[in-house]
Amino acid sequence: MRQIFYDATFDFLRVSTMSSYTISGPAYYKVFFHAAKHPHKAVNGVFVGKLVNGAVLVEDAIPLLHHWTSLSPMMEIGLDLAGQYADSLGLTLVGYYQASDRLDDTSLVPVGEKIAGKLKAGFADAVAFVIDGEKLGTGEAALIPYVSSSSSSWRPYSGDVAPFAEKSKFKLAFNDLPQRAIALVRDEHLHRKFGDFDDHLEDVSIDWLRNKASLPAES
Amino acid sequence: MSLSSALQKLATYRASNTRASQETFETGLTVLNSGKQLDVEGWAFLEQLALAAIDVGRLDIADRCLKLLTDKFPRSPRVDVLAGIRMEATESLEVVLQYYDELLDEDSANAAAWKRRISVIRRTGRYDRAVEELSAYLDTFYTDLEGWLELADVYASCNQYTHALQALSHALLLAPQNPFTFLQFAETAYTAGDLPLALKMFLVVVDMGERDSDKDEPPVSINIRAWLGVKLCTRQLVSAPHSSSASNTPIPQKIKLIDELATERVLVSYHGEQDTGSRLVSSWLAPR
Repeated sequence: MRQIFYDATFDFLRVSTMSSYTISGPAYYKVFFHAAKHPHKAVNGVFVGKLVNGAVLVEDAIPLLHHWTSLSPMMEIGLDLAGQYADSLGLTLVGYYQASDRLDDTSLVPVGEKIAGKLKAGFADAVAFVIDGEKLGTGEAALIPYVSSSSSSWRPYSGDVAPFAEKSKFKLAFNDLPQRAIALVRDEHLHRKFGDFDDHLEDVSIDWLRNKASLPAES
Repeated sequence: MSLSSALQKLATYRASNTRASQETFETGLTVLNSGKQLDVEGWAFLEQLALAAIDVGRLDIADRCLKLLTDKFPRSPRVDVLAGIRMEATESLEVVLQYYDELLDEDSANAAAWKRRISVIRRTGRYDRAVEELSAYLDTFYTDLEGWLELADVYASCNQYTHALQALSHALLLAPQNPFTFLQFAETAYTAGDLPLALKMFLVVVDMGERDSDKDEPPVSINIRAWLGVKLCTRQLVSAPHSSSASNTPIPQKIKLIDELATERVLVSYHGEQDTGSRLVSSWLAPR
């Protein structure tokens, strides 16, 4: 009985102190471009950012793969390089993202759980996002957060407030980021200037770590 | 873009199996709207445009193409399958499955309908059934390379890498000249934990790619990836020379030399690039 009581208390504390997450413009755009560039494929990548006063600032995204996402060699190298790059900026790998090849599939795949678990070992507040294909075109935030209490089990975040709604722990730096991202893809085709680690391995001049060329001038 | 160059571009996409849906759709739409009389090639073009239109969500255009095709080729199995793919965009999976079942009842040799059916089963998340169906399909159509690659992909997505390797070995037999299949095999072997086998296959990819090129040229495209794979394996095999291999693949005697060569080849491919990315790669290659 006592044990249960303690566990419950602990759980309560954990939830109430869970960090908040704010996704910056460049981070949101890049994830969006990655999914838009490969609409019929699974893609994945990582987020870089930092923890400031209990709030995780997700500053940028580094896209990794689109050829095949359940094999590990290039993932391993890409993660290594992305981690070093984050270090060089004084940032950390704070999360993982993935899009499925199907609109209606929003589950975190086994490989995603593995990588997110690995990130969590280096950053306790690590989070995973699955891109919500149904919402990509709607102007709503198309990211489904997955959180975990241990490093192995990841579940869709279920709080009192829906993610990205008002007062949620998950925020976008600007509320209109999803609409802006749609316009950048539709009108300016910026996703065509975007490249991931897979692209880079075919043409090493593609700047997968920064993707400056794909970002709109203001960000 | 003139009409003939538009058609040419689309023909190239068809020949190379390029699924550049947005471009195909935009180019194809201008051709469709020009009202040009369609020749034999033109019908293949309509099929291509319909698929691209489904991809980009312009079902109205897909339906226009489908109507023209159905009028010209009533009861063609190929058009039937295209109609099925169009249904997949809006109908429930059960309805689509039933449609494909009917097509297969009429003609059990309709390979395309069978493959779509398997793909729909996979989408329902019943991986065991997808594997079962795919195996039955491959028993009948053994030479379907795409089928073996799909089977390998289903297995890999469920973490069954040893089974994925078995499926890929059939693919290697069917396409011994395709370095991408060897690359996929190498990366799957690595993921399965068989480093000596992965190394061997990464080296096959390198060999295929550099066989006809000047050895002094920097590696390009797929070879960069393969050399990085080689490096990933040799680095670990040098420090653990008795690594186990489920396939009993021996570790090359000159593993240290291969390791050094891999470092050199990757560095050469970044020659001239001075950005952060290439600096990070150099430090990644450095001995740890």
